[in-house]
Amino acid sequence: MSTKSFHIHLSQVRWTIITAYFIAFILDTMMLLGYSTPILPPLTLLVLLYWSANFIDRTHLFTALLLGVLADTLYQTTLGAHALIYIILTFLMIRHRLRFRTYPLWQQAFSISLYMLVYQSLNYLFFSPVLDNSDFVPYWSMPAIGLIAWPFLSYFLGKFSHTAAHS
Amino acid sequence: MVAFILAISLMAADHYGQLTGSLRSTLLTIINPIEQIAALPKAIYIRATTDFTNINDLQLKNKQLKTELLLLRAKQLQLTNLKLEVKRLEALLGTTGKMTDQSIQIANITFYSNNPLSQFLSINKGSLKGVKSQHTVIDSKGIMGQIINTTPTMSRVLLITDPDHQIPVRVQRTAQRGILRGTGHNTTQLRFIPKSSAVKLGDILESSGLGGIFPAGYPVATITAIQNEGDSPYLDITAEPIAQLYQSHKVLILSESDPSSEMKSTKSDTTGDLDVH
Repeated sequence: MSTKSFHIHLSQVRWTIITAYFIAFILDTMMLLGYSTPILPPLTLLVLLYWSANFIDRTHLFTALLLGVLADTLYQTTLGAHALIYIILTFLMIRHRLRFRTYPLWQQAFSISLYMLVYQSLNYLFFSPVLDNSDFVPYWSMPAIGLIAWPFLSYFLGKFSHTAAHS
Repeated sequence: MVAFILAISLMAADHYGQLTGSLRSTLLTIINPIEQIAALPKAIYIRATTDFTNINDLQLKNKQLKTELLLLRAKQLQLTNLKLEVKRLEALLGTTGKMTDQSIQIANITFYSNNPLSQFLSINKGSLKGVKSQHTVIDSKGIMGQIINTTPTMSRVLLITDPDHQIPVRVQRTAQRGILRGTGHNTTQLRFIPKSSAVKLGDILESSGLGGIFPAGYPVATITAIQNEGDSPYLDITAEPIAQLYQSHKVLILSESDPSSEMKSTKSDTTGDLDVH
């Protein structure tokens, strides 16, 4: 599915990419409102991984820095900490994105769940989140939700970028 | 590599100094509209449910508020007398006046979050209204937290339950001093209370005023569990905040008032927000 997507050049879908980040950030903010459960994966990061896997003419590392700094502001954590995590994950993705693009969707989803596991582990290491009995299982179950979310995200972003490129 | 170094440098600058304060304020200004968009569905829901509230309920609530206002006015009169009495006694004792008048501003909560990483609120008053970092935020019951970042039109409040937050307190009944630290999820931990201390379940903790950031005498938390275990010389005490951290819609921002200012109140805007000195 991803192999056919990406004869599109990034400049053709620049506004689609920016809009996707914007919507993902709003949804992340909505998930943070009130008593938020740590089971939901950060959509901004998933979208970042999707674009960095599919547009191989860019490294996306400065986008990762920018989105990470915004995430730090949103989550009220040390500035640069989320940015560093986003950069590490984007770097891992660009190192193996050529192989990643050839995977079938289910295998991509499993890879993404591993990325989410690395994200949660780094989060745990950097921020020592307070995990009481009700949060411990949801926190470590987040990679599984990332696995489920990836096919839908991949489908919608692929469709939107195709529509945008051909309109 | 450059992005990696930039991220590390930002972390160091933010952790070891206040160099990034203005950067964080700028970023907060950028994400403020996003927070407002994210909070919109809930605001619409509250608006819709409020609009359909029974008129009898509103009349009843209005009566209750009027009664409460009357009682509070009566208490305020008592308070004015007490303040004068304290001033007279302080003058007799030869001490300098320690009662400081607080300047008060009312603000609305626009966004709040209770997640494993942090507990904070966003309020709709910022540096344009004179709000500054370290100003105390309270509700009608007690201290909620302190301002940590401001933008021209909004501020972010770190709640007393956040693990990065500490506040000097004293036990109201015995005046025993300690430090109250946030532990997340609507609980706090009272530290440095020796095992020989006479603390009891239900004791109220109030701000001690030490450190000069929080004004003294405001209720903060109620002791809910006391454990005396292990070799530590201190008790392991858990306390729950008295303020309604996640139920309040309006909060008060306390700041040192200008000594030359007279008692006055001005209506600041059409939303009914009030500034009182």
